[in-house]
Amino acid sequence: MSQVKIKKGHDIQIAGVPKKELEIPGQSQTVAIHPTDFRYIKPKLLVKEGDNVKIGTPLFFDKRNPDINWASPGAGKVAAIHYGPRRVIEKMIIEIDKDEESVELPVLDTAQILESPKEKITEQILNAGLWPMIRQRPFNKVANPSTSPSSIFVSCFNSAPLTVDLDVALRNRQSSFRAGIAVLSRLTDGDVHVSVGENSISETFMDIPHAKTHSISGPHPAGNVGIQIYHIDPLKPGKIIWTVEAQHVVTLGGLFLKGVFDPSIVMTIGGPAVNKPTHFKTRIGTAIQPLIKDRLNDGPNRFISGDVLTGKTNDKDGYVSFYHSGVSVLPESDEREFLSMLKPGSSNSRYSLTNAFWSFRRSLFPFTTSKNGEERAMVPINSWENVLPMDIFPNPLFRAILANDVEEMEQLGLLECDEEDFALCSFADASKIDVGAVIRQGLDVLEAEG
Amino acid sequence: MKFIRTILDKIEPIFDKGGFLEKFHPVYEATDTILFSTNEKTESGPHIRDSIDNKRVMILVVIALIPLYIFGAINIGWQAASVSGIERSVLENFWIGMGSIFPILMTALVAGGFWEVLFAVVRKHSINEGFLVTWALIPLIMPPTIPLWQVALATSFGVVIGKEIFGGVGMNIFNPALVARAFIFFAYPSQISGDKVWVNVDGISGATALSIPAAVENGNAVELLSNITRFDYSWSNMFWGYIPGSIGETNKFLIILGALFLMYTGIVNWRVIVGALIGLLGTATLTNILSSYSSNTMLTLPAHYHLVMGGFLFGVAFMATEPVTGAHTDKGRWIYGFMIGLLTVIIRSINPAYPEGTMLAILLMNAFAPLIDYYVVQGNISQRLKRYAAE
Repeated sequence: MSQVKIKKGHDIQIAGVPKKELEIPGQSQTVAIHPTDFRYIKPKLLVKEGDNVKIGTPLFFDKRNPDINWASPGAGKVAAIHYGPRRVIEKMIIEIDKDEESVELPVLDTAQILESPKEKITEQILNAGLWPMIRQRPFNKVANPSTSPSSIFVSCFNSAPLTVDLDVALRNRQSSFRAGIAVLSRLTDGDVHVSVGENSISETFMDIPHAKTHSISGPHPAGNVGIQIYHIDPLKPGKIIWTVEAQHVVTLGGLFLKGVFDPSIVMTIGGPAVNKPTHFKTRIGTAIQPLIKDRLNDGPNRFISGDVLTGKTNDKDGYVSFYHSGVSVLPESDEREFLSMLKPGSSNSRYSLTNAFWSFRRSLFPFTTSKNGEERAMVPINSWENVLPMDIFPNPLFRAILANDVEEMEQLGLLECDEEDFALCSFADASKIDVGAVIRQGLDVLEAEG
Repeated sequence: MKFIRTILDKIEPIFDKGGFLEKFHPVYEATDTILFSTNEKTESGPHIRDSIDNKRVMILVVIALIPLYIFGAINIGWQAASVSGIERSVLENFWIGMGSIFPILMTALVAGGFWEVLFAVVRKHSINEGFLVTWALIPLIMPPTIPLWQVALATSFGVVIGKEIFGGVGMNIFNPALVARAFIFFAYPSQISGDKVWVNVDGISGATALSIPAAVENGNAVELLSNITRFDYSWSNMFWGYIPGSIGETNKFLIILGALFLMYTGIVNWRVIVGALIGLLGTATLTNILSSYSSNTMLTLPAHYHLVMGGFLFGVAFMATEPVTGAHTDKGRWIYGFMIGLLTVIIRSINPAYPEGTMLAILLMNAFAPLIDYYVVQGNISQRLKRYAAE
């Protein structure tokens, strides 16, 4: 096991940390899938409103790569298809039947998986509609099944605030997880890299066969797979690396061991507006409503699918996004404090990465959605550099993207970056610039260039 | 404070689109956001944000400068009293000094504020809190005897040419306060060139500490300084600041305190300061070694004297460290700081025209900072391209 120590970064001391216990929420009557969660695809529907579907029935496919389709995470009736501006399919809602049926596929045990050629494994995942669980870097998009990745990364360490503790989530899931790793090992000629948090005590992650294990330590974003790739097997132009969420590895393993798509997943509910934050056993694409029932503080709140740094704003009646495994709830704030810029600050009202505020108490901080300032021109006081554990100059990169200088973007290492790795830069910035959005803008340009 | 909030909310429509004073919306916005924290919310991306904002950054710099104002006032009074042979209490000295400082401060506010508002209104951007720092810095680097019209002219030049023509705070190349000083330095050298001291009593003039060794050949700088009787130019007195000089730059102890405060808060980058100290002390030591080959007395000035003389510490602590106009990369900051220290000694010692070199050294390095960054970034790029090519 190799050791990777990340020094730069920051663990945000936000209140509402999920309890390390698994609870079962009231069952969601509906589930949903958002085609907008997947970058650079052109979805084409395979079902219409009112159709009956099983778990695993393909709902839509990508016109650009028709082999890739998306499995239904529930069995029942397609209740609604929501369109956004310009007829973009925003979400498909499925009403769940009492008795759910699943699409059945061949069963393979671990030994058979290891003997199967890459094509057979790929075919089974594509047929099951679970290929979108495999994403590729650069660009962090759904992988192209006809390419061959140099290696595959699985991060079993979540460092972002209020996210799932994978020790809790993967308890007693060892056999499916290992089968999933075996599946991935067939998809690449290189290594499968599994990174585990230094303090993990889970048996699931001990001595994993067919993978290289790395022990990761350090503050967020140490758990981001992009940061781990940078430190273990860095990207370069032309090189492709695939990544899979740890819980999706279990789903993929289960797909082969049982022959069916088991959409169950562990999620968290957390944040300063949640009074009983915890881990839940629920399913992919669950409705938010059953998770937050009887757990919220009063007041206007913001519901976020995913974590508070990279998640998407959602609403109370919304659904969790495909790659997200948590709901964060923040109080919305319009409070305007008198002469706040002169206040010395206390832990009740102030929180900063700089030492520009002083307080004696150190407690978890109830963040709100306040921007805490207005957007301004860049004043480079190193707030980006201090939280970015990569040898990349964020400031020149940011400028190159704004100037639309494709060559310089590549030379400054944009292909090794993803917006989620820059979320902390936006968090820490005194000028309130959204760095991650600009990084994505640059990646979009490079992706379009091909 | 509720009634202030109520008044602000009540008058807001006048400044909104279609209102009577629509054009002056930036003025309303600046007043509003200085008095009350903003209620802007995050839209996407990170839904939570750090409490630090540019207002806090700027106001902390101003807070670090306040002790210099207080000491500056006391010193002005004390200098005037000591040359006239009067005994006065510290408080009396302070009030006499404030009598000189306050008009300068107000002139800088009115002149600078005028341009800030004009540019904000015409170019429809918000009034930037960066002006607070420029405003607080300008009086501190002026002699107490400066005519007010020169302050107004210098501030205007600093704000307009030093900042606004580039697009405002964040886009400027030179430190606006330093541009202001450079302007009167070259336009009205008789008042500010730095070879005569400024004491707030008519008819009194003398040489500044730096110009004493600069005026004599084949001498020993320390000996020359200790021979001066009108002022006490001993090392410790220059450190504690009871010497004539610009309003804010004399007390080195308070400057060091302010710099430590800003370094602790994370607003000022310590690499620039440490780099500049190494540059100054190293170069001064070198000139000392070489002094026996030259008749230039300045070369004999020991390194620790360079440190406490002139505006070096003030410039390095509060002006060289300005994040926008300095180097933006950590490696670049070392080079940038070091070169400021080195150039300060070179301009002071070898240049016959200007006894003080810090201002010019900082301005020159402001101009070179993007070039330094360019090479640091190119180094990073070529390292990356080497890695891309390998394997």
